Amino acid sequence: MDKKLKETILNPILKGNPITVLILGICSSLAVTVQLKGALVMALSVIVVTGLSSLVCSLLRNTIPMRVRIIVQLVVVAMMVILVDQILKAGEGTYAIDKQLSVYIGLIITNCIVMGRIEAFALGNKPIPSLLDGLANGVGYGLILIIVAFFRELLGSGTLFGLQVLPASYIPNNLVILPPFALILLGCIIWVHRAFDKDLQEK
Amino acid sequence: MNTNSNAYTVIYTTLVVVVVAAVLAFTAMKLKPSQEANAKAETLRQMMSAAQIKPTDELYATNNAGILQLYADNIDKAYTIGLDGQENGTLSTEKASIELVDNLKPQNKAIKAGGEAVLPVYVFKNGYTVIPVYGAGLWGPVWGYVAFQPDHTTIAGAYFDHESETPGLGAKIKDEAWFREKFIGKTVAFGGETLFNLGKNAEQTGASNTVDAISGATMTSKGLNEALNVWFKAYESHLGNGATACCQDGEEDCEHCEHHKAEEE
Repeated sequence: MDKKLKETILNPILKGNPITVLILGICSSLAVTVQLKGALVMALSVIVVTGLSSLVCSLLRNTIPMRVRIIVQLVVVAMMVILVDQILKAGEGTYAIDKQLSVYIGLIITNCIVMGRIEAFALGNKPIPSLLDGLANGVGYGLILIIVAFFRELLGSGTLFGLQVLPASYIPNNLVILPPFALILLGCIIWVHRAFDKDLQEK
Repeated sequence: MNTNSNAYTVIYTTLVVVVVAAVLAFTAMKLKPSQEANAKAETLRQMMSAAQIKPTDELYATNNAGILQLYADNIDKAYTIGLDGQENGTLSTEKASIELVDNLKPQNKAIKAGGEAVLPVYVFKNGYTVIPVYGAGLWGPVWGYVAFQPDHTTIAGAYFDHESETPGLGAKIKDEAWFREKFIGKTVAFGGETLFNLGKNAEQTGASNTVDAISGATMTSKGLNEALNVWFKAYESHLGNGATACCQDGEEDCEHCEHHKAEEE
């Protein structure tokens, strides 16, 4: 794999992580991280939407009229989000999760990561790198979501993927279930991330 | 080609929208049957949760086919009534063709307009009678299923759901088991002025037809309270203090019976 492609894939997961470095997609990462299952479905949905939207917009990039490009991108992203929502509603195992995630699946459309990557990358690059960039950004987002959800479900309910892991004597911490704790946790992740990556530290 | 001319822009955007609309319409069409099957199983889960057929968690861990089977095994009879309380139709309970009145919105309108309504009544083999309720929450509809004990007055169980109430606030009507469990053992004051009161500090009055509203979810609680009262009122002549039941039993001290007798004479 050539170096540039590798950079495209690894950068959004580490040095250019959409949540911890670009601080995008914070809203949904606070809202859907109470349980791992929901976070996982949300992460997969965002990966699919960012990947496919970037691919389609990249394919169309030379034909899109510049004056209405945002609108066209929005239509493409909206289509992907609706498709994901419809497919989740149709699956027997995913129907309940879709109901639980409720508005947040529909709100992927407002996730700045999606439009941000299309504007910044897909419109200026070939389809394959754009697809990889979209997918990698989705993975970078999903990774943080799952880390946050892991701690929130473990400490907030004593379970992981709905299975009891902490002893029954553990009293679930109700603060952990509330959104503010997700923000605190996110702050800690950003702190750890910066401590290890010297490039991210301001002089 | 000049991609910035007006004509190009108009034609291009029109094309994009038409293509996207076609893709979405096609997918919606293809996925509709399985979405409807999921929605039906969901309705059955909620009804059976209210009727205490199985714990809610277990119902949600059962797949669609299992739910249909469980319903067919446990349902005694299902029929519909009009606003006069008289039966006006039956619903199939055979597993292959289970019928439900799960679109409650038109019925809610019919109740309010006083027109012709088709109100479902589901009687389970354990003796519990389940009826739906439906109303407007803060952001969208709220609805639920309430199970009555054989006396048609005491609530045996309830399950509430919503379309888009605020997670953590209004959404508690569905998410929190303690909320629906509060309804168990409460009664509906059929024939009284206030049938049911879901309100702030309602339980402090000590009446058995009260449940405290959820703090921070005033509008959702109000909406649910209205839904309960409107629908209980609609079923009053059918369930209410067993007008037919007590007359058949020949109980003489029943006001309803005397009222009925007076009318007949």
